[in-house]
Amino acid sequence: MLWFILRRCGSAVIVLFLASVLIFLGIRALPGDPATVMAGEEASPAVIEAIRHEFGLDKPLPAQYLDYVGQTLTGNFGRSTQDQLPVIDIIAERLPVTLELSALAMLVAIVVGVGAGIVAAVRRGRLADYLATGFGLAGLSVPHFWLGLLGILLFAVTWRVLPASGYVPFTQDPGQNLQRMILPALVLGTGFAAILMRQTRSAMLGALSADYVRTARSKGLSEVKVVGAHALRNSLTTVVTVLGLQLGALISGAVVTEQIFVIPGFGKLTVDAVLTRNYPVIQAVVLITVIGYVLVNLLVDIVYAFLNPRIRLSGGAND
Amino acid sequence: MRPSPRLVAALAVLPLALAACGGGGSSGTPAAPPSIADASADNRPVKAGGTLNVALSADPDALDPSISTTLVGREVFANMCEKLFDIDAQSSLVPQLASALPEVSGDGKEVTIKLREGVKFNDGTAFDAEAVKKSLDRHRTWEKSARQADLAAVSKVTVADPTTVKLTLTQAFTPLTAQLADRAGMIMSPKALDAGSDNFGASPVCVGPFKFASRTSGSQIVLEKAPDYYDAAKVKLDKLVYKIIVDPNVRAANLKSGDVQVGDNLATTTVKGVQGDPNLKVVSGGGLGYYGITINTGNASGSTEKPGTVNTALAKSPQLREAFELALDRDVINKTVYNGLHEVDCFPVPVDSPYRAKDLQCPKRDLAKAKQLVQASGAQTPVPVTLTSPNDATNVRLAQVIQQMTKEAGFNVSVQSAEFVSTLEQGKSGKFDVLLNGWSGRVDPDGNLTNLITSRGSNNYSGMSDPGIDDPIKQAAAESDPAKRAELYASAMKKAAEVRGVLYLYHNKYYLGMSKNVAGVQYFKDGLPRFVTAGFTA
Repeated sequence: MLWFILRRCGSAVIVLFLASVLIFLGIRALPGDPATVMAGEEASPAVIEAIRHEFGLDKPLPAQYLDYVGQTLTGNFGRSTQDQLPVIDIIAERLPVTLELSALAMLVAIVVGVGAGIVAAVRRGRLADYLATGFGLAGLSVPHFWLGLLGILLFAVTWRVLPASGYVPFTQDPGQNLQRMILPALVLGTGFAAILMRQTRSAMLGALSADYVRTARSKGLSEVKVVGAHALRNSLTTVVTVLGLQLGALISGAVVTEQIFVIPGFGKLTVDAVLTRNYPVIQAVVLITVIGYVLVNLLVDIVYAFLNPRIRLSGGAND
Repeated sequence: MRPSPRLVAALAVLPLALAACGGGGSSGTPAAPPSIADASADNRPVKAGGTLNVALSADPDALDPSISTTLVGREVFANMCEKLFDIDAQSSLVPQLASALPEVSGDGKEVTIKLREGVKFNDGTAFDAEAVKKSLDRHRTWEKSARQADLAAVSKVTVADPTTVKLTLTQAFTPLTAQLADRAGMIMSPKALDAGSDNFGASPVCVGPFKFASRTSGSQIVLEKAPDYYDAAKVKLDKLVYKIIVDPNVRAANLKSGDVQVGDNLATTTVKGVQGDPNLKVVSGGGLGYYGITINTGNASGSTEKPGTVNTALAKSPQLREAFELALDRDVINKTVYNGLHEVDCFPVPVDSPYRAKDLQCPKRDLAKAKQLVQASGAQTPVPVTLTSPNDATNVRLAQVIQQMTKEAGFNVSVQSAEFVSTLEQGKSGKFDVLLNGWSGRVDPDGNLTNLITSRGSNNYSGMSDPGIDDPIKQAAAESDPAKRAELYASAMKKAAEVRGVLYLYHNKYYLGMSKNVAGVQYFKDGLPRFVTAGFTA
């Protein structure tokens, strides 16, 4: 087991190294010179040169890469080229916002998705099933930005029950925070709820027609107990796997949602940084996202290995 | 799994309903532009206190007057960093931190500026001639300063006495006062500069009605009423919160929901919807800038490099450029793309500028002549043209309209849309055939011309280089008589209209949406809302 974990950690480090190189080169392949963007439209070539020098952009690529790695390892991500604030501060401010949004969206997805999936499976072929599957299809096909605009229009402009956008930290005013997070979380959660609904429904259908359920029923157990304790419990493994896989997608969904609701999170930061060629910020944001992915994967692998000895013996065939 | 057909139908119709609510202006016959009043006329009394939430259309760059280059940055500065001079509702230059307009010596090479007395920076430091010198020297000599060009004529700043500074110029330069009425004339607290000069923008301190309180990168900027402000009695609001809301529909929705009370730079497609809301009003400002079609005529290796040969049909043939212009109908463009909300023109200086000669005329669409010119040029039709356009919805629509109009004259325009930053880069480096881009505009006409159409100007994307353009613009900068300047500018603009490096389309108006209970906002030609006297109606 220890050997398995060490091997997994080793490959995680290699992945991180490769990712850092890719991020570094990828950003530099973007059209648009950051020094020119920063210097603004009226700038003289001398000003552009001065800026290029300050941010080390005049050095050869390998030297720039070494600077970047050296800085990053010491936890220093440099200064944002847009507003000159330290990147580490910006990230410390943004990361919790996106984590909160993702957690709330996940909650929405689990409550709505799993709930609708169970109902759809139990009421198979009836109205509730059609409604739930219709919702599933809609949730998968409707783009976030459209749903977001619709939400703002209905809840903020027409009915005026929720604020249109913006963010208030939970520590500052929990009520305000939740009021402002409801819509974004619903919008972001919808797509995942739809996926979870479909997975839960099909897993439940499989379970409900299985022998052990028939046995449970014939023992005279109540329907609630049959569905809840037997069928659902056995379906959950599939659902949890899907949930884990969707974590990454949640972060990319946050990009659009945060833009629309003007939430100062990671996603919005990423878009803004790319649009202004803010190298230090893009590098830091993408790297942290990659670290997040790698860590989650590492964790999932290890947990799986604990649960299922076949994986660690076969060397992790399900990478 | 069968989806319910009814549900699918309902969802399919929703986007249309949404577009209708948003007041989308793509209706068949555009109505006459709505009459929109000037904000400076609003003098209703306001009560003290309150927070004004203002939606900005973009995130400002560093809040450092020496390096800032964005229009939204200027909007924030307008309420936080006063300048030696300012403009008023008539776009006339007036003293702000100076106590009077500058005295200029006979040869134009010595400019004396008297300063307002009893003024303090927002950190309590005294405002004096030393402080002015420190800021001006930073603007003009710091290697990273974007103001170097604005103050290029200044060779020395001297402190004559605590309330007088003298600027020594290398040559007479009349636009200097206008430059000092913009970022180059913003004075920073010497104490704050000493504390961290390069990093001033992280917590800027100036003289102003509001002082910087905090900034959340990409999200909001908070300013608070400044107790040290010399005219503090005039200031009614406690707080100004600038929220960055890039999407125009979301900006309008925030205004309608009451989450913000002022929405800056409304998209022309949302103006009507905001105007139709009983709780809101729209006022207009701006008009100093322009938007146009830049044709690469000689930018072979960069706008600041020596012009070279560009190998495209339009670059090589003045006849084809004329035909291209004659194929365009500026009025139709304004109506179809902008709901008729901009001011159609074909010159870079605003229509009502005192420096604009009255005899400047715009050509009307003349398809017959355009076709004739295309034929006479001997070029094989359809003439291929690559149009580079920023990839936002409005610019893409503009590009398509241009494509259709010029097609009738024998051009085949292929549109290449790219993200805004990339199009600027292409413009600067000369890697384009035809480019859509504009300029936010300056009070003095020099600011709309020198960098933009004279040889090797930093924004001369077209690569125009013609003594008939360069010489009169240079002479006008040294001339102090407005009538003579107007004449010189007219001659340069006529020549530029012949060369057709830029086909100007319109002067962009800015529209500010506001709650009806907000009064006292000053909104002038520069499009920067000033909130010094603003507040909520009593």
